[in-house]
Amino acid sequence: MPSRSIDLPQGTLDLLILRTLSLEPLHGWAVSERIQQISSDVLCVQQGSLYPALHRLERRGWIKARWGTSENNRKAKFYELTKAGRRQLEIEQDAWQKLTAAVSQILETA
Amino acid sequence: MFLHDLIFRLRTLLRRPAAENELDDELRFHLQRETEKYVKSGMSEAEAARRARLEFGGLDSVKDECREARGVSLVETLGQDLHYSARTLIHSPGFTACVVLTLALGIGANTAIFTVVNEVLLNPLPYANPQELLAARPNDSLPNLEDIQRQTKSFVSSGGVNIEPMDFTGHGEPVRVHGAYVDAGLFVTLGVQPMLGRWISAEEDVKGGPRNVVVSYAFWRDFLGADANVLGRTIRLSDNSYTVIGVMPRDFTLPQQLADVFVSLWVADPSAAAERDVHFMHTYWRLKPGVPLAQAQAEMAQADRRLAEAFPDSERERATLVLPLHDWLVGDVRPALLVLFGAVGLVLLIACANFAMLLMARAVARQRELMIRAALGARNGRLIRQRLTESTLLALAGGAAGLLAAKAGITVLLALKPEALRHFNAISMDARVFIFVFAISALTGLLIGVRPAWSASRGDIGEVLRENARTTTTGISPSPLRSFLVTAELALALMLLAGAGLLIKGFLRLRSVDPGFNPANVVTMYLQLPETRYPKIPLQTNFRRELLARINAFPGVQAAMISDLPLGGNYVGHRVVIDGQATPAVGAEAEVQTLSVTGDYFGVMQIPIRGGRDFGAMDREGQPLVAIVNETFVRQLLPGQNPIGARIDWARTNEPHQWMTVVGVAGDVKHSGLNQPVDPAVYAPFSQNDEAWRRFMTLVIRTRVPLAGVVEDVKKQVWSLDSQIPVSSIQSMDDLLAVSVAQERFNMLLLGSFAALAVALAGVGIYGMVAYRVNQRTHEIGVYMALGAQHRDVLRLVMKDGMKLGVLGIGLGLAGALALTRVMVSLLFEVKPTDPTTLIGVALLLAAVAMLACYIPARRALSIHPMTALRHE
Repeated sequence: MPSRSIDLPQGTLDLLILRTLSLEPLHGWAVSERIQQISSDVLCVQQGSLYPALHRLERRGWIKARWGTSENNRKAKFYELTKAGRRQLEIEQDAWQKLTAAVSQILETA
Repeated sequence: MFLHDLIFRLRTLLRRPAAENELDDELRFHLQRETEKYVKSGMSEAEAARRARLEFGGLDSVKDECREARGVSLVETLGQDLHYSARTLIHSPGFTACVVLTLALGIGANTAIFTVVNEVLLNPLPYANPQELLAARPNDSLPNLEDIQRQTKSFVSSGGVNIEPMDFTGHGEPVRVHGAYVDAGLFVTLGVQPMLGRWISAEEDVKGGPRNVVVSYAFWRDFLGADANVLGRTIRLSDNSYTVIGVMPRDFTLPQQLADVFVSLWVADPSAAAERDVHFMHTYWRLKPGVPLAQAQAEMAQADRRLAEAFPDSERERATLVLPLHDWLVGDVRPALLVLFGAVGLVLLIACANFAMLLMARAVARQRELMIRAALGARNGRLIRQRLTESTLLALAGGAAGLLAAKAGITVLLALKPEALRHFNAISMDARVFIFVFAISALTGLLIGVRPAWSASRGDIGEVLRENARTTTTGISPSPLRSFLVTAELALALMLLAGAGLLIKGFLRLRSVDPGFNPANVVTMYLQLPETRYPKIPLQTNFRRELLARINAFPGVQAAMISDLPLGGNYVGHRVVIDGQATPAVGAEAEVQTLSVTGDYFGVMQIPIRGGRDFGAMDREGQPLVAIVNETFVRQLLPGQNPIGARIDWARTNEPHQWMTVVGVAGDVKHSGLNQPVDPAVYAPFSQNDEAWRRFMTLVIRTRVPLAGVVEDVKKQVWSLDSQIPVSSIQSMDDLLAVSVAQERFNMLLLGSFAALAVALAGVGIYGMVAYRVNQRTHEIGVYMALGAQHRDVLRLVMKDGMKLGVLGIGLGLAGALALTRVMVSLLFEVKPTDPTTLIGVALLLAAVAMLACYIPARRALSIHPMTALRHE
């Protein structure tokens, strides 16, 4: 399994978190699960690094946190996207798509 | 965005414990869910938990990263830095004490002076909209004031006040109080409300109006028992009953003078109120908002011209000047305060230079430690931050100690407070002062700390190791920054010393001025006869003669009376004409000081009679009118003439002359102050006076017995003649003389102590540098001595650097002093700001101090034993 997975490029974790939270508020564990599931376990997110990223995004005002009840009835900290976060997500998505498009064009033609 | 960030960090910081718990909860929840996931997939509980932890990574480092992400770490490392700095500082108490003491002296002196500057020059006056208040010069009369107010449009209101002594009786011993004779406009103009009751209204401020009085807070407290129901009570003032209608607030004072009771001039003295040509009221004006001062001045000049046309006899030479009240009040003290403020600024600079040198020495001493820490992976920025934290911590500690020093300093300042600062009673430290101190200490710490912190962090470890291996060859010359600091310190100290030297010289000159009388063993007392019981001159004369006869009967006592005492701040001025000289135009006659005497005044004061004769018993009422003039009178008004026998009189408009014959010439007396020119003066006997309003007198008593007993005996005699007469202003002539030079003494003492402080600090600075160098060169000196160097050679070697800087610093300081002492011109009495003896003197003094400061560590170099020095490595 570790042999198949790719380390996340620098700075993309924020983008993935924002994207994941754009659908619904989630707690940290669910974010990590969701990223792994959707990427079919290709991307390896070190679980520990998720939380500093969440706290950094919160400080920047892109996501906000509140305590709620989890699916198995326990107290959990849920994160949701703020308006500023939604704008930021669009900006980063845009930038990412431009970047990947440019990179793949170079890879195909050069 | 940035704001959100800041608020977020702050909130996190403020609820640290809660945030920590939340972080724990959040991560625990994650691990539990992860464990459950693995348990579901068939693992054992223990295996699942282990796996979850493994997947998660180091829990503590994740927590750390989270804290950092939340922005707590900045504050936390600051806390660590503070803790670390405090610990290292406590571990080197000598260094810390040196720095804190140096800064405390510098900052303390600054704070004390800033407090005074703040209060006197910066704080607004305690009146409503004080920027609109103007004072007019010279004084004026009420009828003129009313006319001008009517004819001008620039002013909202005007007010006048004159302080005269009043007798407060019916309350134990009769007391002389300061009576303010005012018009109703005064308090409207100043914009102050009484604390109790009300102010005198315009309707009451008329001839024959009700006798109402407003009293000061101090009078209310001391004499009326702070009675809340005092309104409506009557009190006796100068033999009249007045009804109390108001009490002024505690912090209220008139702009210039102290006053205990306020009465309407129109009510209390209607004849004086109606006199247009006697200008005795201090007047204040309130500008309409937005009216420029120039416009007000122009209107005032117009009004002056109209008055001059309407009343040519008395108002011809009007030239009323209006100026902002604040400027007017601080006019005299401003230059002195600014010079003092500049001087303490220099002291602070010197203290900072010492601080910087101490930090540099310490940085060098700790270089190895820092290198090792850097080699162990401490980041450069962090190291710099730590050094800055340390220097700022030191500076703040110095600032705190400085505040304590300032508090003591202000107490001393207030004790020395010259008359000019008297009205700024409430000199105390306020928030502005605290901000000032905090700002200068923090700035000092940051600015001074940056350089050593930076150079320490830039050090090359190899260089340090090399340096350690070969102490002998390092520092053939001292570091340029250190040399610069020592030179600057000496230059600054010399400038201060020059300023102080000039003030001291000026003060000594001033004190050596001959006042024209002998102040030793003379005590003086002021008396005023109430108008109701002494309306006529013969009654006054009887009282004076009888009292003098009784006092002169005491053994060892010699007494006389004068209307206005020299250095007492008052005199009556009259225009004078001389028989046989062309009569000048009305209003253009020379004005002379007019002094009345009873008894042997010249004998008691030991004022020499230069020509003619003294007054005698025959010079009394009904006899030929006589006068004695002073030498200045003869020089200015009777040049080249034998003054004896000349006939003089006051300028009179509608009555025949009553010529007085000059019978003698008295020596000049410095009536208005030791640093003031002598005005022409005429002395005449009280008994031949024709002005019944001069009911006041000052007893001058020369005594060979202790003063205190004499004072009590004299009071008894006064009250046995009239129990309702207050005896006041009891002071010795020596005290009066001292008070008259109090401002000069204040300047001199302050600048002198700043200069002493500066010299001490600069001495310590140069000492520190030389001592440091001796330490560094122990090995070299040892070798030198082992090779047979004489003591003299070693001394020369060690002192050479220090003395070179000393000469340079003193030279630069002299140049600076020549440029700067010019601002002191107005503070100096008969001394040029470039006085060569003073400058040479202070240069030599500072050179001696510098030499001593170099010599002490050099002595230590001599005691170095060659063998010890060589083993030192």
